[in-house]
Amino acid sequence: MQCDRARRLLPQLIDGALGPMRRLFVTRHVAHCGACSAQLEELQSMQTAIRSNLPYHHAPPGLAARIGAMLPREEVPAPSRPWLRVPAFAFAGTGLAGALAGVALTLLVVGGGGSAPDEAVEQSVIGSHIRSMMADHLTDVLTSDQHTVKPWLSARLDVSPSVRELKDQGFPLIGGRLDYVDGHPAAAVVYQHAKHVINLFAWASPGKPDTGFHDESRQGFNVVTWRRGGITYYAVSDVEADQLAAFAKLVG
Amino acid sequence: MVQHDRKRRFELLALPHLDAAFNLARWLAGNTADAEDVVQEAYLRAFRYFDAFQGGNFRVWLLTIVRNSFFTWAKENRSSRLVFHAEPPSGGAGDTETTAWGTPPRDPEALLMERIDSETLSRLMERLPAEYREVLLLREVEDLAYKEIAEVSGVPVGTVMSRLARARLALRKLWFGEVEAEAGNAV
Repeated sequence: MQCDRARRLLPQLIDGALGPMRRLFVTRHVAHCGACSAQLEELQSMQTAIRSNLPYHHAPPGLAARIGAMLPREEVPAPSRPWLRVPAFAFAGTGLAGALAGVALTLLVVGGGGSAPDEAVEQSVIGSHIRSMMADHLTDVLTSDQHTVKPWLSARLDVSPSVRELKDQGFPLIGGRLDYVDGHPAAAVVYQHAKHVINLFAWASPGKPDTGFHDESRQGFNVVTWRRGGITYYAVSDVEADQLAAFAKLVG
Repeated sequence: MVQHDRKRRFELLALPHLDAAFNLARWLAGNTADAEDVVQEAYLRAFRYFDAFQGGNFRVWLLTIVRNSFFTWAKENRSSRLVFHAEPPSGGAGDTETTAWGTPPRDPEALLMERIDSETLSRLMERLPAEYREVLLLREVEDLAYKEIAEVSGVPVGTVMSRLARARLALRKLWFGEVEAEAGNAV
């Protein structure tokens, strides 16, 4: 009878579903009963087999992007005009230290674009950069530790962007954020330069060749884009163009 | 802006579970293309009903939708994956899982499943009815508690426990068959 009771409880034992009293009963019984012990061993071995040997099917690359693109589109960033108002807002918001205050540098890494910066992508990246400073949503993971930011991002995206600690070079790492650019999810790695924020966006562009750095100025923001190792990067900021170019070279 | 925030909140919550969603769908549907359809449909539904999410475990909520999307999909496509060739109940109502477990017919050491290779295990899993695959995945791979599995599968906790016991029994039976066949070939 002890065996009957114990065996009914064996699955709950391996599933961690027993309270302390019943667990004590089962483990004590099993210690003295060869038959129940063998059954427990079998159950555990099956559990181990499934947990360690059953193939895990990871989502195919690009599925996240397709889902993002499929969700209702009215949320996609509005046309460019509203952005024109934003720099003033950003300055007013930070308001501390004169001209330097409120300058943000966003490095956005995005996938799938052509070699020259696509205007729609650029709009999207700049919009994202601006929103990141307007809302209280600069970072999802706030840490200066590159070893935290990188796995956090790669666990959530099909891309593992370059994340560097560039404090000594004058670009301390602030954190990371999951963003959404031109119809697909993107990593946004956030850096700082003096009082300026830099967003570095990254997304997967499988099979696309590497490119050099391409910089452009738009709506008062500087943008540098390049592609390396199947990942497209966009750095966006209102820091000086040559500073942003220097930053891009450090990261890329 | 409000819409954008809603979408971003959804993506922040839902995209981290994409692998879990896909793995479940893939095991249920049996191939990548169908699994992708199921997951896309599930995410669309989840986004639509996002406001109904009351807090709690988002992964459980999402997996529930994935699971239901699969069954809807299977019905619409008259997929044979929906056919439950469930184990016939062995014996009467009094015949519990524990007695059905019985004693292994051979040297117990040789029957331990630990050494099973991934390919064989996959093949055996594929032969299980969908509801058995589902309960094993949710328990062992997703590491959900009985109560959470009950939520995902839409059945009482007691049913989860007996279904899990039957699933393990069925997998064990297939594994024994495998071992016997190998032994037969070896002779």
